[in-house]
Amino acid sequence: MSAVAEQIRIRSLTELDIARITAIDERLTGVYRPEIWERRVMFYLRRDPDASQVAELNGKVVGFMLADIRGGEFGLEETSGWIERFGVDPDFQGRSLGRKLFEAVVEHLKGQGATTVRTLVEKGDADLAKFLRAIGFQDASLTALEIRIS
Amino acid sequence: MKVEQTTLPKKYHDAVLHWQRHNFPDYGLLPESWQKYFPSDPEFCLCAKMEVGMGDTVEVGDAKGQKRREKPEELGEEPAKHLLAIIRAQASTEFGSIQQHEGTLARAQDDEDRFWVLRVMAEELRHGYQMFHLLVSQDWSGVSGQKAEEMVEEILSMQTGSHVLDAFNLEYDSFVDNVVFAAVIDRVGKYQLSMQRVCSYKPFAASMPPMLREEAFHLAAGVIPMRRWVQRAAQGNVLVTMSAIQKAFNKWMPRGLEMFGHEKGGDSNIRFGFKNMKNAEAQSLYYDECTRMVADLNQRFIRARVPKLSPEEAEALADRLIRDRGRHDGISHEDLIQLPDRGFFRRKGDAAFTMVGFSGETFTDVEEYVRHLAAHLPEPYLHSRDMKQYVETLRAVAAGTITRDQAIKKMPSLKRVGGMCPCSKSVRWVMDSAEDPAPKRPSAN
Repeated sequence: MSAVAEQIRIRSLTELDIARITAIDERLTGVYRPEIWERRVMFYLRRDPDASQVAELNGKVVGFMLADIRGGEFGLEETSGWIERFGVDPDFQGRSLGRKLFEAVVEHLKGQGATTVRTLVEKGDADLAKFLRAIGFQDASLTALEIRIS
Repeated sequence: MKVEQTTLPKKYHDAVLHWQRHNFPDYGLLPESWQKYFPSDPEFCLCAKMEVGMGDTVEVGDAKGQKRREKPEELGEEPAKHLLAIIRAQASTEFGSIQQHEGTLARAQDDEDRFWVLRVMAEELRHGYQMFHLLVSQDWSGVSGQKAEEMVEEILSMQTGSHVLDAFNLEYDSFVDNVVFAAVIDRVGKYQLSMQRVCSYKPFAASMPPMLREEAFHLAAGVIPMRRWVQRAAQGNVLVTMSAIQKAFNKWMPRGLEMFGHEKGGDSNIRFGFKNMKNAEAQSLYYDECTRMVADLNQRFIRARVPKLSPEEAEALADRLIRDRGRHDGISHEDLIQLPDRGFFRRKGDAAFTMVGFSGETFTDVEEYVRHLAAHLPEPYLHSRDMKQYVETLRAVAAGTITRDQAIKKMPSLKRVGGMCPCSKSVRWVMDSAEDPAPKRPSAN
C-alpha cells in the first residue's frame, strides 16, 4: 500500500484531463458524455484552474474534483468555495484519493480567501453523503428547493 | 494567494490601446458578449497583475539561496541583458499572436469558438501589457541602450514577419490555425511561463502565476474545439477534416519545438536563475504532452466512429492502427492524427535543414523532400513567402552554396519591417502626456 501511495500525485486540472474524467464518469454512470465534460472542464479552467484538482496514480488520472470560488450568491456575501463534481475510478477507490483531492482543493480555496466550502448532494445518495460527512461536511442552514416549470 | 493589479503610466496605456485599435479591432466585441460566453466570470481587466507573496529566495543557479533581485542593476550586466531579451521576446509573442489571430478570427464556424479565441486575444494583450510593465517600471537603459519608450515603440511597431520568434511570423490560413495554434504554440507558452516562475528577478517571477492561470484557458480554447471537430469529422462532417487538422499540426509543431531554443542550449538560463529547465528537457516534456493531446483526439475520433468500444479499447485500437499502418472497423491509420517527427521541417536547432521526414525518415534529394513537405503541409501555406524562402534556403544548403549555420541565421528573413503608427507617418505609438498616473490597487483575484 505504501508503494502505491508514493506514486499518487494531486495536481491542478488541465484541458488534457477531459478524456480521463469522461472515462471515470463513464465507469461510474455507464454513460459516455464527452460534451458535458468538455463544457464543465472549460468552465472551471477559465475561472481558476488551480481550484480544481485531479489525482494521478502512476501518471494516469484516476480521480478529479471540480471546484471554484464564488461570492454574493443566494445572499451569501462571504467568499465561498463550491465543489460541484468529483469522482474516483472504481478500480482505485478505497485509497483516500477523495480525501486527498478535497484537502488540495481546500488548501487552494483558503488561499483565495474562502471561509466555507459548500456542495449539494442528491437526497438518495447515501454513499456520497457519507463520504462528505467523513471529510467534515455538516448540514447547512440552506435548503435546496426547486420547481418544475415544463 | 493575492494579486496586485497595476495600470501602466498613461502614455504607455494609451499606446497599447492605440495599437489595439489598429491591430485588434474586434476587442470591442468582448465586453458586450462577455455575459453570454463567460457568465459570472470576473470581467476582463487590461492591467498588469503581480502575484503577491512570491518567495524572496533565488531557487536555482549561481545565486541559489540568495535574495531575489528586484532591480535590473542587481542582476549584473550579462544576466540583465539576457533577461531583457527574454522579456522583449515574450512581449513580441503576445502582440504577435493577436495580429495572427485577428486575420482569421471572423472565419470561425461557431460563435462560441470565436469568442473563446477573442478572449484569448484580449488576455494576450494583457500579457503584452504585463511585459511592458516590467520594461517601463524599472530602468533598463544601462543594458538596453534605449529609453523605455523606445523599447515599447519598437515592440508595438512589429508586424507578422518582423517578430522575434518564427512561430509569430507565419500568417494563419484559416480558423483551423487559430485553434491549433492555441493548442500547440500556447502550450510552449505554458512551459516557458512555468519555468520562469522560479526567476531570480522577482517582478518577472511574480508576473508568471496570473499569466499561467489565463494560459490554462488558452490551451482549452485550442483543445476543446479540436475535440469537437474530430468528433464531427468521425461522423462524416467534411468541413473540418482530420487531414486539415493534421496538416495544421505539421505547420505549427516544428515552430513550437524551436521556441524552446537550441536543443544544446539553456545553460545560461539555469546559471542566471531565470528558468529551472534546460531547452532539451523542456522540449522533450512538451513533445510528450503533445503526444498525449493527439492520443486523446484520436480516442475521441474512434469512439465517435465506433461507440461500442471502451476508452481502453479505443486507445489500444489507435495504437495498433498507427503501429501497423493498418485499417480496422472502417478506420484507417491515415484517419488519425500523428505528431510529426521532432526533426521534421526544422529550420533551427539540431535538426535544422537536415531534411527529416514526417515519420523520421531522412531524405537526400532536396526536390523529393520538398514534394514530401508539400504533401504534409496545408496547401495555402505552401503559397506563402515563408515557405518559398525556406525552400530556397534548403536548396542552397543542399547545393553547398551556404552552410547549415548560415541557413539558420537567414531564417526568418524579415518579410515586413516594423513601422510607426499607420495613422500618420509622423505619429508614434507612445506619446507624452501631462497625466501620468500609475495607480496600484490590491485585489484578491
